[in-house]
Amino acid sequence: MYPVWQFPAIGSALVIAFIASFHILPSHLATSAFWFNVYVENKAYKQNRPELLEFIKKYVLTILIFSFVFGSLSGVGIWYSITVSNPKGISALIHNYVWGWATEWVFFIIEVVAIYVYYYTFGKVDKKTHLTIGLIYALSAWISMIIITGIIAFMLSPGKWLKTGGFFDGFFNPTYVPQLLMRTSFMFAVAALYAIVVAATLKNKEVKSFIIRKASLWGIAGTLLGSGFFVWYYKALPDAAREVAGMTPLIPAIMPHIVIGSLIVLMLWFIFTLIKPNWAKLVPGVLAILLLLAGIFSAESMRERVRKPYVIDHYMYSNQIIANDMAAKHVKSNLAAIDAQGILHYAYFVPAGLRDITDSNMLQAGKVIAQIECSACHTLQADGWLRPLPAMVKKAGLSNVDDAQALIGFLNAFPYMPQFAGTEMEKKALAVYLVSLYK
Amino acid sequence: MNIPEMLKSLQDPMGVPFYPQVFRILLVVTFALHIIFVNFVIGGSFMSVYAYFRHGAFYKNLSKAFAKATTINLSLAIVLGVAPLLFTQVIYDPFWYTSNVLSASWMIGIVFVLMTAFAFAYLFYLKSSTGRRHIALWGIFSFILIILAAVIMHAVSYQALQPGKWLAWYMNNNSVDLYGAHLHAFQLPRFLHFIVASFALTGVFMMLYAWYFWEREDMDRKYLAWAGKMGARMAVDFTVLQMGVGVWWMLSLPATFHFYTNYMFLTGVPFAVVLLLVLIRAQSDPRKYALPVAALMAVTVFAMSSLREVLRMLYTGKYDYSVSNYTLNISYGSTALFLASFVMGIVIVGYMISVVFKMGRSAKPIDLSSLKLRTWSVYLMIAWILMMIGIGVVIAS
Repeated sequence: MYPVWQFPAIGSALVIAFIASFHILPSHLATSAFWFNVYVENKAYKQNRPELLEFIKKYVLTILIFSFVFGSLSGVGIWYSITVSNPKGISALIHNYVWGWATEWVFFIIEVVAIYVYYYTFGKVDKKTHLTIGLIYALSAWISMIIITGIIAFMLSPGKWLKTGGFFDGFFNPTYVPQLLMRTSFMFAVAALYAIVVAATLKNKEVKSFIIRKASLWGIAGTLLGSGFFVWYYKALPDAAREVAGMTPLIPAIMPHIVIGSLIVLMLWFIFTLIKPNWAKLVPGVLAILLLLAGIFSAESMRERVRKPYVIDHYMYSNQIIANDMAAKHVKSNLAAIDAQGILHYAYFVPAGLRDITDSNMLQAGKVIAQIECSACHTLQADGWLRPLPAMVKKAGLSNVDDAQALIGFLNAFPYMPQFAGTEMEKKALAVYLVSLYK
Repeated sequence: MNIPEMLKSLQDPMGVPFYPQVFRILLVVTFALHIIFVNFVIGGSFMSVYAYFRHGAFYKNLSKAFAKATTINLSLAIVLGVAPLLFTQVIYDPFWYTSNVLSASWMIGIVFVLMTAFAFAYLFYLKSSTGRRHIALWGIFSFILIILAAVIMHAVSYQALQPGKWLAWYMNNNSVDLYGAHLHAFQLPRFLHFIVASFALTGVFMMLYAWYFWEREDMDRKYLAWAGKMGARMAVDFTVLQMGVGVWWMLSLPATFHFYTNYMFLTGVPFAVVLLLVLIRAQSDPRKYALPVAALMAVTVFAMSSLREVLRMLYTGKYDYSVSNYTLNISYGSTALFLASFVMGIVIVGYMISVVFKMGRSAKPIDLSSLKLRTWSVYLMIAWILMMIGIGVVIAS
């Protein structure tokens, strides 16, 4: 086991969630925007309307700075935050999917080179070449989505991989296709939202209404198709995930409402801008993007939560303990070894004085056990943001050690909780620590 | 549990999907590419500010050119950094992950440091034509933040090499440091070896700049000759300084490594010496020597990247860790996917570079629609998508 990292009060999982949700905006914009761009640029050349190019220049600069300053770095940020929150989890993903990520990296380089070449060759090379560079960008950005969606979907529904360990068996898993189609559809809605914001600042009324009308249609189509694929995606989820999806408080009741509500409001916004394109203004446009962000945050949080108790379904628990054997790759579950040795001996990063539990160090040992086994999903401080243990202990009324120890014994009776791994003595130590939080 | 056992227990039980030596080579090559652009960013960012404060039209031009180049180079440095970051996690996972967690807050912080540095670099570039003095502040802040990012990266990489100290860094009596709020190790000569190199490489960058724009009608050749000369001077001065820092670093390494008798080291040194000799010759006509100097510089950086790997093998070997012992679970399919995509990427990026190369040398708009790779680039990507659909269909059936 690696050392544990916690951000004060926030914990570690929420740090990933904040960075990842933010990343969705620039990354989906980066993926989608150029389809719209190439479409408008093509129209400008074919219908000989150079005034449309004014919009494209503005739009590309937004993408260049927003997507490539904040998008690429927040992408690296997700990686770093997962690395320090769940090193064993990211390690498992990388040791299976390193070539997938390396392939994505190739397309990432194509993207970065393409966007700079596109921006700086504007008006300096022939139309065909310029459109081709735009198309190269659009294709490579979408390919990067094709790849990363496979890995994200794998974590939730590894499918045949659990038996074969095959790269493509895990990649083309049961939730992959609906998720890819859903993300692809919604990315057009994201592109449309940005196009409307950028076009709202244009002075040329005719260009403004042309762009906004087209963008609104793209937005409506993207939102409708995306919602349809969402239903398919939901049906494709593993049974256990669908069961967990209905459980509060793991999934706060408001979350699905935020997702559906944001979709309805977005739809209304697109219909409004379709009918009255010249009434579109910057502020409501930005508000629509923020609303979308709230919807995305809720949807992505739900996707992360329905995977519990696993970080990789049926392979590794959220707390980085390997829960099941993986015969195809000769991997053994960690549970038997931890139950035999005790987690405080099994893990290297434990204070020497706490490896063997005595009456005098029991509370401290219990705390270290909680840090190792619980902190991935629960902050230990009372004022913590993520399902704080003190609050949960009070709610469950764990005022004595025997009750607490009994509860720890059948934790996995909750479908979203992993089983406790360790010796009876360690179970007791954890119980002592939990009860200390009751006071 | 002793340290070698601990390292073994942290290695991923699923093993690696191809021969570890391949990952090692990829790590060395992509790190060299990454660090070249990091060097351009550090040196270029500094030069953009320095030239901003100097008088004269030449300096003004140079500042503007570097401000623009820094934004692009920073993008490329980041995207090229992804690959070595990935490959190091494949074969050196116990080292990289532990060191990251021990300074986790800094590792998350580096993302925000770079975002801010990037935003400031853009502000400086977009506003610098106003010529106001306080605009330079954006450039200065950006430079300072870039150096801070370098400090964090250096510390975390250096911590990774010292597993014997990890436990002490993590522990605080009978409790542990959960916040990862400290950087624990710093080695000045190693750090300086990256920073000083930045100015030598930026000098070469200026020589290339003079060579590239020489053909363009609307460029002032006097300015280009001046920039090339300054670049050649910088390159030679900082290469000499770099050699001094290199010796200092070498002397600071544990004597048990016998680093200076290592054959990799002995083959690396001649490159640096040849580079220096050519650089001295290049002073008379920097433009003419730009390409050979750039090629030699690239080889030298590659040699340095290899030596860095040799050093890592020595550090990790102290704890019986060897990449070669990593469990193999070969995945031919995904390896082929990467190799095919990689070759394809070289073709497509090559096409785009040829477009921008030709465009940049022409003062007027240029017709490049007849370049053969234009349609090929698009077809290749469509073929890639069709291939994936094909694999998907086969897997599903």
